Amino acid sequence: MKQLVVAMVILGGLVSAQSSVDYLGSWSLNEAEAELIEVCERQLDITVNYTPFSGSGVADLMTELRGLATARRLPDVFWMSSGFVDEFAADGLLYNLQPLVDRDVMPEAESWNTGAFDAARTPNKTTGDMHAFPVYFVETIMYYNKDMFDEAGLDYPTATWTWDDFLSAAQALTKDDNDDGLIDQYGYYGFGRYAHVESWVYQNGGELLNAARDSFEPNEQAIEAINFMNALINEHQVAPQPAEMAGLDNPFHAGLAAMWIDGSWAMNGNRDIEGLNFGISAIPRGPSWQEDIAYGWSDMVAVSATSDDPEAAWDLVQCLAGPERTVARSGTSSIPIWRAIANSEAWLEPDQLPDNKAFLLEWADNAGPNSFTPGWGEWRGYVGGAGLQGQLDEAFNGNQTVEEALAAATDVANTVLARFYR
Amino acid sequence: MRYKAYIPYLFLLPTLLGLVLFSLGPTVASFLLSFTEWRGTVLPQFIGLGNYRELLSSRIFWQVLRNTLAYVAIYTPATVAVGLGLALLVNQKLKYIAFFRGIYYLPAITSMVAVALVWNWIFASRYGLINYILRTLGSSRPPNWLADRDTALYVLVIVSVWKSAGLPMMVFLAGLQGIPKNLYEAARVDGATRWHQFWYVTLPMLTPITFFVLIVTLFDAFRTFEVTFVMTQGGPLNASTTLPYYIYQNAFEFFRYGFSSAAAYLLLLVALIITFINFRFRSRWVHTNN
Repeated sequence: MKQLVVAMVILGGLVSAQSSVDYLGSWSLNEAEAELIEVCERQLDITVNYTPFSGSGVADLMTELRGLATARRLPDVFWMSSGFVDEFAADGLLYNLQPLVDRDVMPEAESWNTGAFDAARTPNKTTGDMHAFPVYFVETIMYYNKDMFDEAGLDYPTATWTWDDFLSAAQALTKDDNDDGLIDQYGYYGFGRYAHVESWVYQNGGELLNAARDSFEPNEQAIEAINFMNALINEHQVAPQPAEMAGLDNPFHAGLAAMWIDGSWAMNGNRDIEGLNFGISAIPRGPSWQEDIAYGWSDMVAVSATSDDPEAAWDLVQCLAGPERTVARSGTSSIPIWRAIANSEAWLEPDQLPDNKAFLLEWADNAGPNSFTPGWGEWRGYVGGAGLQGQLDEAFNGNQTVEEALAAATDVANTVLARFYR
Repeated sequence: MRYKAYIPYLFLLPTLLGLVLFSLGPTVASFLLSFTEWRGTVLPQFIGLGNYRELLSSRIFWQVLRNTLAYVAIYTPATVAVGLGLALLVNQKLKYIAFFRGIYYLPAITSMVAVALVWNWIFASRYGLINYILRTLGSSRPPNWLADRDTALYVLVIVSVWKSAGLPMMVFLAGLQGIPKNLYEAARVDGATRWHQFWYVTLPMLTPITFFVLIVTLFDAFRTFEVTFVMTQGGPLNASTTLPYYIYQNAFEFFRYGFSSAAAYLLLLVALIITFINFRFRSRWVHTNN
């Protein structure tokens, strides 16, 4: 009996010595997350109190995190979007991971896709400290319909394509089959969405923000890129006006456009379209191009600044992002931050479209800036609002000039940014 | 049977608690929040009337308010009129009339998201049904209904009226069936045509119900959200944004809880003023038993 009591006391001591970490999931995780957590618990000898996230997108997650922050009940570890990391860090809610990254990650930097780390730096995206740790990287690429290229007798796009190459191909691919005045197949489709516009801007050496990233000041190269997009639609008519496609989910999927620029996350959606034979390539280089710049960002996990045990939380972060996040636990349309997983056959999927998926990894090595700032959702804007997207769409629809659109967007954007940087 | 004085309150307690915790409490909290700047990450900061000042000096707010008033001004009478028209239509002694009543009521109980998606296809620019018909009839450039600043809001009104007219129809139907038949008989004896019967008997007898439907529809108009969310997201350039969507957008997309609370109170104020006007002039056109 005495021995049993002693054993129980020792066991109790061991149990109580084990660290406990609260972890809030994300909408993008699947049921395999619980399995990953079990692996992490075993490896790290910690207890993880995992709460799956029941919302449906980044706005829902940010709403929940704000509620938890208000109640001073942020979990030790939680998912963080690139679009909000600056705001949460500035408000003192995120633990500064830089010393831990320097200590534990950088000595074996070659194992990680470190190009994705900049998205987690704040306030400066190049020199700031990491206040979150990437798990996946997503980037924009150009999708093209191989059958349409074959039918037009064109070579597939290459990584060195210029805007001129792109325009000639788009012209050759645009056609009105029955001469009824309605274009039946466009060379390209794009509108004012961030994934569409910024891709062109960065590949022309452009920037939408000033150096301090506290003001919307598109430079000449950015304006040149936006004017080129506008010319594709309204001058060369190789792309439809956004209004013409209103009510249609995706013209590339509908076989109405031969080329489309969007995020790597769209790959699985493309695969779901029966008969869509597609490839991927780089964003064409503009006349002011200096170097390839991939427009991308990371989905990250962060540690709460008020965590009782930041070391244990950090251990969990590394486990969530590291070699244990296998393809089955991560999906195939985002690039895993752990290189070995990204280079694995399971992720490269040689038997699936596109047959050059490895290009995503090459392109990720060019990871450059993005336009995320506090208040990004408001000034960059999605469909409908008066932010940059809405203004550009009106320009692309021929209802105002690009100059007018940018003037109006500057007004909106800098009003929003002033709230954060006054 | 005797009971202690507090017993009735015990029965009321669950309802009262729910009302205070989930309705009254948030309403008061939202009012207090409207005087703060709060993004949810740090504690609210008191800024006095700052949010109200910003709203009233915002070009976008005035545009959204104009949209809201235009939406209310068209949707409310249209829904009442269509509801009344449908009620007259289904107030017939026909075989299978219950089936037709059910059909007309069906949109009211269908999910707005599903309804809006179908209408999205109908109004789609390139492959929509309406534009297909217009092209067939010879129009070379039919409107981009959902993406045109001049039409987007009216598309939302059309869809909303179609969706909502079922409920007024049922209420009017009940009202129609409550009108004494001898009034119509007397009118016929006096030589009244069907139009005269409608104008001098049906409409006056329905005015209390019309008033009820008007007020309910008015509040419905001020609360419109889902149709905007699914069909236009307020675009293009806020041309179809109404106040409820603006409030949602500022609260849950831009995370400006204080600002959005202030907008909610301005919406309440506008709705109260219009409702007050309705009640003020009720006695001029509503015929009650008195």
